[in-house]
This record gives sequence, structure tokens and C-alpha cells, in this order.
Amino acid sequence: MKLAFQLAYRNLLGAGLRTWLNVGVLSFAFVIIIFYNGWIDGWNQQARRDSIAWQYGFGQLQVATFDPFDPFSITDAHAALPAEDDHLTPVLLRLGTLYPQGRTMSIVVKGIDVNQTVVDLPTSALTASKSDLPAIIGEQMALASHLKTGDEVLLRWRDIHGTFDAATVTIAGVFPNQVPGIDKGQIWVPLKKLQDMTLMPDEATYFIADANFQHTEIAGWKYRSQEDLLYEINNIIKMKKMGGSVMYLLLLAIALLAIFDTQVLSVFRRQKEIGTYISLGMTRQQVVGLFTVEGAMTSIFAAVLGALYGTPLLGWIAHTGIAVPMNSQDLGIPIADRMYPVFGLGLILATLMLVVISATIVSFLPSRKIAKMDPVQALKGKIQ
Amino acid sequence: MIRFLIKGILRDKNRSLLPVVIVSIGVLLTVFLSGYIRGVMGDMIDLTARFQTGHLKVMSKAYADNQDQMPNDLALVDLSRLLQELKQDNPKYDWKPRIHFGGLVDVPGPGGETRSQGPGTGLAFDLLSPGSSEIDRLNIQNSLVRGALPATPGEALLSEDFAQKLGVQPGETITFFGSTMNGAMAFRNFTVSGTVKFGSAAMDRGTLIADLGDAQDMLDMDNSAGEIVGYHNAGAYEDEDARSLAAHFNKNHADGDEFEPVMQTLGQQNNMGAMLQYTDHMAAIFVGIFVFAMSLVLWNTGLLGGLRRYQEFGIRLALGESKGAIYRSLFTEAVIIGLLGSIAGTTFGVLFCFLLQKYGIDISSVMQDSSMMYPNRLRARMSLDLFVIGFIPGLFSMVLGNLLAGIGIYKRETAQLFKELEV
Amino acid sequence: MKKYIVWIFFLAGSYSTSGQSTPDARLIISRIDENMSSRNRVILSDMIIHGRRNERILTAKTYAAGDNRSMTEYLAPEREEGTKMLKLEDRLWIYSPASDRTIQISGHLLKQSVMGSDLSYEDMMEDRKMTAIYDAQVIRNEQISGRDCWVLELNAKVPDVAYEKRVVWVDKIRYVPLQEELYAKSGQMLKKTTLSEVKQIQGRWFPTRINYKDMLKQGEGTDYIIREVAFDTDIPDYIFTKAVLTK
Repeated sequence: MKLAFQLAYRNLLGAGLRTWLNVGVLSFAFVIIIFYNGWIDGWNQQARRDSIAWQYGFGQLQVATFDPFDPFSITDAHAALPAEDDHLTPVLLRLGTLYPQGRTMSIVVKGIDVNQTVVDLPTSALTASKSDLPAIIGEQMALASHLKTGDEVLLRWRDIHGTFDAATVTIAGVFPNQVPGIDKGQIWVPLKKLQDMTLMPDEATYFIADANFQHTEIAGWKYRSQEDLLYEINNIIKMKKMGGSVMYLLLLAIALLAIFDTQVLSVFRRQKEIGTYISLGMTRQQVVGLFTVEGAMTSIFAAVLGALYGTPLLGWIAHTGIAVPMNSQDLGIPIADRMYPVFGLGLILATLMLVVISATIVSFLPSRKIAKMDPVQALKGKIQ
Repeated sequence: MIRFLIKGILRDKNRSLLPVVIVSIGVLLTVFLSGYIRGVMGDMIDLTARFQTGHLKVMSKAYADNQDQMPNDLALVDLSRLLQELKQDNPKYDWKPRIHFGGLVDVPGPGGETRSQGPGTGLAFDLLSPGSSEIDRLNIQNSLVRGALPATPGEALLSEDFAQKLGVQPGETITFFGSTMNGAMAFRNFTVSGTVKFGSAAMDRGTLIADLGDAQDMLDMDNSAGEIVGYHNAGAYEDEDARSLAAHFNKNHADGDEFEPVMQTLGQQNNMGAMLQYTDHMAAIFVGIFVFAMSLVLWNTGLLGGLRRYQEFGIRLALGESKGAIYRSLFTEAVIIGLLGSIAGTTFGVLFCFLLQKYGIDISSVMQDSSMMYPNRLRARMSLDLFVIGFIPGLFSMVLGNLLAGIGIYKRETAQLFKELEV
Repeated sequence: MKKYIVWIFFLAGSYSTSGQSTPDARLIISRIDENMSSRNRVILSDMIIHGRRNERILTAKTYAAGDNRSMTEYLAPEREEGTKMLKLEDRLWIYSPASDRTIQISGHLLKQSVMGSDLSYEDMMEDRKMTAIYDAQVIRNEQISGRDCWVLELNAKVPDVAYEKRVVWVDKIRYVPLQEELYAKSGQMLKKTTLSEVKQIQGRWFPTRINYKDMLKQGEGTDYIIREVAFDTDIPDYIFTKAVLTK
């Protein structure tokens, strides 16, 4: 077997250009497989990443009675935190009614610290606005309410005692996003303003944690970790993996097609060589082994070559992402849309294993033909 | 000449069958993967279409403006005439009326008084007519947690979490309390036939699914519905087709009335236009890279195929054929092989894509817990470019590879090529 | 639906005096009470709902006793016939003959706006006396539909009121409110009520047509027309029990 490896190694190096062509193509296929899967994973995880960036942060500390899916719970879900924490960004939720063009929309008014940086919400637009009560809304909300930047609209809400109040809100910006949780049926206003409006100074409905937040039990509050908040999205991602795995197999098929193709040609072209091996005393099985090892070794060379240029390339792409130009005219606040592929170590190792193993199998299949060859004819190079 | 070459290709299996098979497989993979990747990337759009937007949706103009509020007082009236018109004018689409409504779900205790209650959102569609396309479209059968689908009028489904919150078992009676199309109180008792899981917390918390007829009766919406959704029979959304259809429909119905029916495409609703654009853009990049990768593989095939024929070229040179003639015949052969392979590969690739778009592969059985709002079927998405895309690797790169290999004919001395002929 | 409940309760609510309002305003309010309130009343009414598409008329018979008990039975149209609504203190039940069910509107539902409307049941169920929660004063005189009126401004003196300010136009001679405006804290007018067709019934001046309008919404609002009204009749006590709902 050792001989087979040595011979295979020499044969491959000896073949020069042809080997490198194969190795090159195979390594490219190899990198593409990883890139593709990373991309699909990135695509699947987009919702997860967006939700973290726009909505969940690194977890949320919520008033214990708050139930994000029960608007009724919002009325009573407000409290002040016993001690301030620099790693928490307060958000206060209140029910309100918006009257765009005489229509009625029941909405949630969300007050957020205008200087926050924990989520991507463009709260700086709230600071920049000169209006008395500025608000930013998501593009879905803009679409549903027919509101655009600069529009004024009447908002009615109730203060802590249930007394009605109403004021004109100026839309300071419309932000494009893919996260319905921060967009549909809601408007974002400065926290201080909302606290004043509702007579709820220093109160919040929940806090968004940053990366350095350390949770300790606080009576009347519940902490929901990032993973906890992402439960649903994680489930969807799991389901979508299925679709990705089919892709993976299809991509693997290209790589194997390349190996198979090369191998068939090798067996055909190198008949004299095969004849020589057999006449020198190698058994047919050993020759089959030699050719199989050659094929498998091509895939290992490909993996090494692929790793050489693929690692920095993919690493760079994963880091900087790929800009996806979006047609976002008159949406107000431009936000660069980037797609970040996700390359897991598991994915890379599994791909490596799978490519080498399947390359070996695919190399073996055409080589079996050797076992049926007449060595004399083969030695003569006669096509059989 | 070409006939001679074809004969040659056909008779020499190594020159014909293998390359053609490899090119076909490569092209098939390219075409299929391109269609498939569009399907996979569009699965969330597909879900939105199934549950909310349809490929096309008809609403009254006033309803469309206030859609989020489920304003059934602004619903479409004269439904049957409108449906008939839609079916007649656009048989390519499956048209289905639906009603979204809100209200209270109330569970009676022993004395008929409220035992538990909660706010709920209702969704009504054709549940009861045999073989209703909606049941499959909304993946209801697979999403059942307990009980069965409604089989008779007066039966309804509750989301599982909602049923648990209310403490209702399948077989028990609930009362829905809301307001009718005219703003009056709407009451109706339903027998809970079963519970379903959506997989979206918002919907799992409080959804009631009822048959359209029951909802129409309950909401005083006889011959009306909030919306009519249309789904292309081929399974996938066709933006251009949908746009022109909607434009045509809207032109015909533009009478300046605030209740005139308006048709909106998937792309015109819920900001799906941007999403579609985004997906298309991403898919185009994916397909581009894939075509490039496949081109490289088939280019390699062509190159190797050319290289292995140096012996033959030697003989042919020795027999007096000119280098140019050999080169030309190599080119023509490559074109023929590339064409045959590309045509075969494209045919099968497109066919597979079509089947996978129309029927999809049901993966819900593989999933531990299936629910409505998850992609439960793998689907491809057809597009016109699938018919041509395969020819790039199949024909061009194959021919290019051969031509590159053929350059060797000019480089090498006749004697040298001849020498390789040693028998 | 929510709109007519409001009106029934509006009529049930009383302007009786207490607290320290300005003498003038207090006097006016007590005169209104004298004129309008009664031990109990039975009202046959039509409710005209101006929808965006059509107009509907609902006929109902309401029995009300004191400030906090009332029972309404709908008589027409056919779809509504037999539907009953019972309000006892701060609780509300609705009965529908079609489903033979009594549903209690309670807890959060009472507090919240119902079915996407901008009115909450809680709004409608205000039982406290006007003078207990508002400081009243006469701010000017004005004519409405040819009648001389005092214009009363009511400002909340307790925090938990729905409307910070109310402005009421009261007929100087008949002591009947002819118009009322409800304001938000910011001064934005939210609702406007117009009372007209004042008739003398059993020696009292009583408005028989009331238009209720949400100023933030489009539309003509809702008209409430009193066809018949009887004061201080014998209403059996069982009318204000849940048992009456299913009868």
C-alpha cells in the first residue's frame, strides 16, 4: 500500500500540468462548496442576525408581566429599574392610536433612548429632528400608514392614569429593515418624551442588554437571553437547513464529476502504463488500488490548494460581507445591506471528509475496468 | 463533413458517449441547481404568498388602504360575480376568497357563562369543499397537533397554544364574538375539531381557523370576502405576468369608487417588492458563481478530451491532413458534443425544476414537529434563463477547453505527434 | 355597537352636584340633574350608524335604574333581535340568542379598546359623578341653534379621568345640555356630542336626538334618536339580573 501511495504521488507530480489542472478545478469546486453553504447558512441566519442587530440585542430584561404577543399586557407593563445599569438600554411601550388621513390605526408607541447604540434603529434621526415629537417608523409601517419622512400625523394615547392625550407626531425618518418586530404597527419616539407624555418618569417596559450585561435576579423583572428570544428563528433556520443540504449534495456532485471525468480519461490514456505495472508483477488489484489512490490524492491536493487561497478569501468575505445593492429610493434613511456568509468549522471539516471519501469512491469506479484488462493488449496500448 | 464527424462521434464511444454524458450531467446540475437555489432562497417569500399576499390579491380599494386593521366593513361585495370574472379571465390562477377577522374567543362553563376567554384573530377560507387547494397550500393537515380538520360547517380549528390557554379540548364548543361587516355584534358557536401549530408565536397565541361559509354567515358577509387571493397554477410567482394581469384588471375596474376592486401583486404588497429584488439579486450571484464553477469543470473536461487525442492527430497529420483542418474538425466535434450534452442536460434539468416547483419534496415527515409557518416543502423555481444558462458551461467552456487543447496541434511538430503514435 | 353603549350610559350618568365647583356652575349642574335624572327610565331608541358604505338603524329598548344598572334589548333589525346587554356596576355581559351564550366583557378587555375601535368599555362605564371628578365654571354665554346657553368648562380635579377637560353648552332656560366637547390633555378636541330636538316629556326637557362624533375620525358619527322615554316607571328588579339575559 505504501508503494501505491509513493507511486501515486510521483505519478501525479510527474503528470505536471494535467494534475494541476485537475487539482485546480477540484480545489475550486471545493472552495465553492464551502462558500455556497456558508452563503446559504448566512442567508438563513440573516433573520437571526437582523433580529439581534435591530430588536433583541444581547438579551432583554422585561417587566415580568410583559407579554410581547399580548398587547393587553402593555398597559400595566411599566416599571422603573431599582438600580441603573450602563449595559441596559430602556424601551417603554405604550398603546396608542394613530390617525393618518382620518383613518384609525391601533399602534404601539415605543420610546427608546435616542443615544442608544445597542440596536441598529436610526435613533439619531430623532435627535436631529427639530420637531416637538419626532418619530421614526419602519418601511412596512410607512407602507401601511401611507406616511413618509416629514409627514405630520395625530397620535392619541393615555397617560398613566388613563387620561387621553393627543399630539402631532412628525415622521423624522423611515428605515428599511427586515424585522417585522420593530416595524409593523408601531412608531419609535424619544424615550424621555414618551415618559413625560405618559407621566412615567424613568420607567420602561423592557431593557435591551449589550454584550457586557451580567444578569442577576431582580424582583418583578424577567430576563430573556438572546437564544431564548431567538428560539423561533432558530427553529426556522433548522428547518431551512434541509433545503441547504440538498444544495450541498448537488455541489458535491460537480466536484465528483470532475474527478470521475479525469479518472476515466486516465484509465483510458494510461493503458501502456497499466500493462507495464502488471508485467512488472503488480496484481490487477494493486493497479486498481494505485489509480484509486491517485484520484483520492488529487482531492487531498485540491483540499490543500483550496485551503491556501480559500482560507484568506472566505475569511475576508465573511468579515466584510458582500454588499447587496438594494433599490431603496425615498425610503428615508439609507442602510447598507450586507450579506455575511457563515463558515462553520464543522462545515469545512465535513466537506473535506466528504470530498475525499467520495473522490476515492469515484476514482475507484472507473479503475475497476483495469481489472478486466488483458495486460498484453494494455501493454501495447491497444484500446479495449 | 459534419455528417462524417457525427458518425465518428457516434461510433467512437470514448469520443462521444462519455463526453456527452459528462456534459449532460454538468449542464443538468447547473440548470437544476440554478432553479433550486431560487426556490430555496424564495421560500420565505413563498410562505408570505401562501399566508398573506397570494401571488395576486384582490381587495376593495378602501380595504387595501387599511389592511392591517382587518376592516371587513370595507370588504369586497358581489363576490361570486367577481370570482367568476377572475376565473374566466385568468384561468392560469387559482382564485380563493379569504376573510381575516378579529374578536374574542369565549369558552362556556357548565352554566353557559364565560369560563375563559381571550382575544383572537380569525382566518377563514375554503376548508370544506372536497379537495380544497387551500388545505394543502396552508399546510394544515401536517400542522395538526390534536384532533382533525373541520369536516362540517360549525367546526373550527384553534392554534394549539391558544387552546391550551383557554383550556379547550377538541370536541368542545367555543363562542366567537366579534363585529359583523356592518358593525353589529357577531356571535357564533364553533365546535373545536382540532388544534394546529403555526410555528410563529404571534399566530400560535390566538388564532381561529374557520370555513369561509361559516365566517360569511357569522360576519354577515354573505357573498362578500375581505380578499381574493390568486395562485399561479405552475406554483411559483411570475412577477411580470402578475404585474400585467393586475394592471389590466385595475384598468378595467377603475371607476373612481373607493370600494372598487383593486388587484395587487405579491411584489406590491408588504414590501415584498424589495424582498423579491433582494432575492433575485442574490440568486443571480449564486447562479453566476455556479455557472462559472461548472464552466471550469467542463472546460477541464474539454481540455483533457483534446489532450488525449494527440495520438490521433499525429496519425491524421501523417496522413496528410492540414493542421487547420484537424483543428476545425476538433472545433466542430466539440460544438456537436457540447450541443448534444447541453440540450440533453437542459431538457432534464428544466424538467426536474418544473416538477420540483409544481410538486415540491415534502420534508415535513423528516421534521420532528411540522408547523404551518415553516417551509415544509423543498421547491425549485423556474425561470426562462434556465433554458440558456446550461449552454455556457455545456457548450462554450467545453468548446473552449477543446480549442485550448487543440493549440497543441500547431505547437508540436508533426514528427513528434507521430512519435506518440508508437504502437 | 360600542357607540350606542356609550350613549345609553351617557344618559345613565348624572350631573348631580357635590364638591367645590363654582357656585354658578354648581347651580347649573344641579338644575340639569333636576331636569334630567330620574329614579329609573325606559327608553325606546333608534341608533343610526353611518358606515362608510351604508346606514344602519338599530332599534333597542333600554331599562336603566340609578347610575349604574342598565339592560338593553335589541329589537331590530332581525339579525340583532333578542341580543341583550346588561351592565351592573363595573361589569358587563352580552347575550346573543343565536349562540345562546352570555359573554362577560371583563378584565383587560374592559380596559382596552375593543376590536380595534378607539373606544374602550371602561370609557363607557364611568360611574362617578361629574362634579366628583371635575371642577366646573361658567366661562361664557353663547347661542346654540338659537338658544341662549351657558358654556361650562369642566377641568379634571382627579388624575384618573379619561378626558382632562369637557366643555358643555347648557340651555339657560331648559337646563338641558345641547353640546359637549371632550378634550385631551394637550387641548386637542377628541369627541363632540350634539344634543337636539329637545322635547318636554313628563314635565322634563329632554333631548331626543344625540349625535356623537369622534373628531379624529372621518364620517358623520352616530345618531341616537329617542323614540319613547318613560321616567320613574315600575321596572321589576329581575330586569337587572343575569337571568333576564337568557329569557
